[in-house]
Amino acid sequence: MAKTIAIVEDDPDQRANYTDAITKKGYEVVAFGSRAEALDGFERKLPDLAILDIILGDEIDAGFQICRDLLSRSPSLPVIFLTERIDEIDKISGLRLGAWDYLPKPISLEYLAERISSLLRINEAREKETAEQSDSARHIGDLTLDQEALLVSWKGTRIDLSGTEFRMLAKLVRAPGHAVSYETLMNATMQSLVTNNTINTHMRNIRKKFEKADADFACIKSEYGFGYRWSTG
Amino acid sequence: MRIWNRFGGPRLGTKLALLGLLLLVVPWFSYRQLVAMEDLLIQGQSNTQLLMAEGISTLFNGRDQLFSDLPISTADYEALYAYPVDTDARLDGLLEDWGEGFDDRLLRFGAARDGGATDGTMDVVIGEKDEYLWGFVRVFDETPVFRDTNTLSLDRADHLRLSFIRADGEDGRITLTLPGPGVQSAFRVDENWRRATTGRPEAQIRGFSRVTNDGYELEFRLPLEMLGSKRYFAMIWADVDDPAERAIERMTQTLPTAGKESFELVVFRSQELLDIIEGLGYAGARVIVIDSEERVRAETGSVQGTVNSEPEGSFGLAFRQFFSRIRPTLHRLVTGQEWPIAEPTRRIDDVIASALRGEPNWLQRTVEEQQEVIIAAHPIVSRDRILGAVMVEQNTAQILSFQRTALEELILLSVLSLLIVFVALIAFAGRLAWRIRSLRQEASAAIDQHGRLKTSGLKSEMTAGDEIGDLARSVSNMLSKLHSHNRFLENMPRTLRHEINNPLNTLSTSLQNLAEEIPGIQTSKYLDSAKRGVLRIGQIVQNLADAANLEEALEAEELETLDIQELLENYVANCSLNHKTTSFVYRGVDRPAYARVADYRIEQLLDKIVDNAVDFHRSNSPIKVQLDVTRDALRISVANRGPLLPADAQTTLFDSMVSHRDSHSQLHFGLGLYVVRLIAEYHGGSAQASNLADGSGVVFVVQLPLAAPPARRASGSDDYAQVAAG
Repeated sequence: MAKTIAIVEDDPDQRANYTDAITKKGYEVVAFGSRAEALDGFERKLPDLAILDIILGDEIDAGFQICRDLLSRSPSLPVIFLTERIDEIDKISGLRLGAWDYLPKPISLEYLAERISSLLRINEAREKETAEQSDSARHIGDLTLDQEALLVSWKGTRIDLSGTEFRMLAKLVRAPGHAVSYETLMNATMQSLVTNNTINTHMRNIRKKFEKADADFACIKSEYGFGYRWSTG
Repeated sequence: MRIWNRFGGPRLGTKLALLGLLLLVVPWFSYRQLVAMEDLLIQGQSNTQLLMAEGISTLFNGRDQLFSDLPISTADYEALYAYPVDTDARLDGLLEDWGEGFDDRLLRFGAARDGGATDGTMDVVIGEKDEYLWGFVRVFDETPVFRDTNTLSLDRADHLRLSFIRADGEDGRITLTLPGPGVQSAFRVDENWRRATTGRPEAQIRGFSRVTNDGYELEFRLPLEMLGSKRYFAMIWADVDDPAERAIERMTQTLPTAGKESFELVVFRSQELLDIIEGLGYAGARVIVIDSEERVRAETGSVQGTVNSEPEGSFGLAFRQFFSRIRPTLHRLVTGQEWPIAEPTRRIDDVIASALRGEPNWLQRTVEEQQEVIIAAHPIVSRDRILGAVMVEQNTAQILSFQRTALEELILLSVLSLLIVFVALIAFAGRLAWRIRSLRQEASAAIDQHGRLKTSGLKSEMTAGDEIGDLARSVSNMLSKLHSHNRFLENMPRTLRHEINNPLNTLSTSLQNLAEEIPGIQTSKYLDSAKRGVLRIGQIVQNLADAANLEEALEAEELETLDIQELLENYVANCSLNHKTTSFVYRGVDRPAYARVADYRIEQLLDKIVDNAVDFHRSNSPIKVQLDVTRDALRISVANRGPLLPADAQTTLFDSMVSHRDSHSQLHFGLGLYVVRLIAEYHGGSAQASNLADGSGVVFVVQLPLAAPPARRASGSDDYAQVAAG
């Protein structure tokens, strides 16, 4: 049975474009233009994944409200914010609410479809085997990386990374000890508009999440003017 | 120009101080008022004195008998007037000790035809003192002959005969003999003036003589009680020239001219009049009664006021001396007239004469410095005749003292009020100037050197109710309007991005769907160019928004202490990877150079400068990056050979939206160097651009403050030892 993807987007053109693109990938799509419509729809049936715009009409944080509502009904439901609000503060509040990813516009539809499928897969994987260690897990020193379930742990402690952060970390640890250029890391974000600064911000967030688990964490090193390096030493 | 503006006009305080000088009209008016008051008081006092004189004169009006101890008319006699002698005169043959003016009162008898002195001429004056009649006789005698004391006859030498009517009505005859210079003896003599009637000289009558070049000078006195009430009195000089023969050559006498009585009349003050006016008991005034012949008949009291009551060296005295010194200047300054009023317009003679004509009159007269008297005269009348006049003389000490007190108060008050007002004005001006200055400082601080608004309103003077408050509020209002406009402008890129991102997303997703839907279109160059266009718009909007958000984003950065030397070395090494066609040269320092920075931001800053240098460098010339450390700062300089900066660019280069690029090389809004400045300033440093000294290129210098080495030694360039922010 096809998975149901809910799209909440107030702009009809964009809504139609998303709907078309995602439907083509073989998902069932329900699209809503406002918060009220969306909540009505979710009352009837919960989707398997939700893509939310934050600003809906005059309500500047309707997306956040919908997210809160959805997660209160189904805590494990993957939610992606897809928005033109790309300020740091919005990103942080979105992820803090429990959203799985935060994607800025303009978006590549290809990448969106990719994200949807991977999040659904991850969700499935997590539901299937929460306790046992996945086969796809990789071990690099103290770091454990589960590419399938998008799970990261450091010295056995679970680190919660967003989708983008996970992908960047995965790129970084592909060849430990070698510098990875900004360009490579930009590709990992799979977004069309990324600057060095965006990478720096992501890297800082990743580093902070690790430092929260381990104050002595110092594996992510800056290669000023070039990129980053995963140092195992 | 600035200096000129600064000194072009007086400051507020000076202006107010000058205005304060206008307060000087207060003492000016006060002084005028004082002078007017003084006039009034003098007028008042003279009126009072006139009234007093009139009052006294009414006591005498019609009482002819008081003046009738004299013959009804003195025209029948040559009067010998006995002048009052107030001094401590001694019997010494000298007239000087009688007081001033007696030289002028000498009457001459037996003069030569031309009025000059000849043998036997005598000058006579008589005075009255202490119940004695005093006489002074100056005799011109070329051959003085003294008495031979062996002869009994008293008329065998030069001698003076005194003839009078005694109190008992009998004739009195006294001869003053001249046994030699010095003390003389007086004898009562017989009717022939030859022999003494008593063997002993009259003890009550004393005389003294001096011999001068011209003759004798004799001084004598006799008790008034010897004279009868009629006071007929005469002097006869008997001149003996031949010491052998000793006959009287000539006699000069004060006897009246032919046809008159044979005695001179001595006019004395009237005791009765004196008793009356003394009985009135006036103090502080001198009352003089004169008769119609202008002779003083009675006098009492004195004009001596109670001046100089203050102790020497006291403030009052010092003040009075000071005031009397400045008074002429002050008076001229205020009234335009001389002080003291040079000469009285009337003379005392006029006053007496007019009183004797029947008109009361008065005058004001300066006796000595700071001592003025007012003399009022009123006639005494009897039926159709004027008997004399009463003169009341009083000094103006009271007025002067009043005036002095008033002046002291006036000047003290003026000075005090001037001082107070002056201080108040200065304080007010100072406060005003201070308020305006602080307002100006706050207003000019509201906009920084780059023209950015730093505050949306003013804080000082906002609650003041006056014009400065109005000004502050209006400036503040302007600032807040400007601020909201600025906010609008600042938010513009973000708003723009928000607004553009949605249609851009539509466009982008539509293009992607289009490519899916129409299979052959993937290869179309139009689809490609449309996609490139969308990407480019996205980048533009993104860059704009990034720059606009930079300041906010910087605030969220956490600073850590890093070794800039290592960071730079690392960075320059990596530069060669990014810019493969350009060579980089790094010259650093041999020890760590720590600064508190956010490493991404320093990297971002270096990116912008290096990008700029790469864009402008002459190909095949290296880009030199250098680190210098001074005592408290480090300098990162990035130099490249190539075109120079325009002269006017060096100050504006780091401003927002300023680009000095000629070509349309992609995406330059002049934000890069603006970002450099923002980041440098956020770290407490500065950014400058200048041409190289040799004119071969441009150098960008970023200066950052040095920091103490971190407590935990860094093990590598990228050991992120977090230092608590702030």
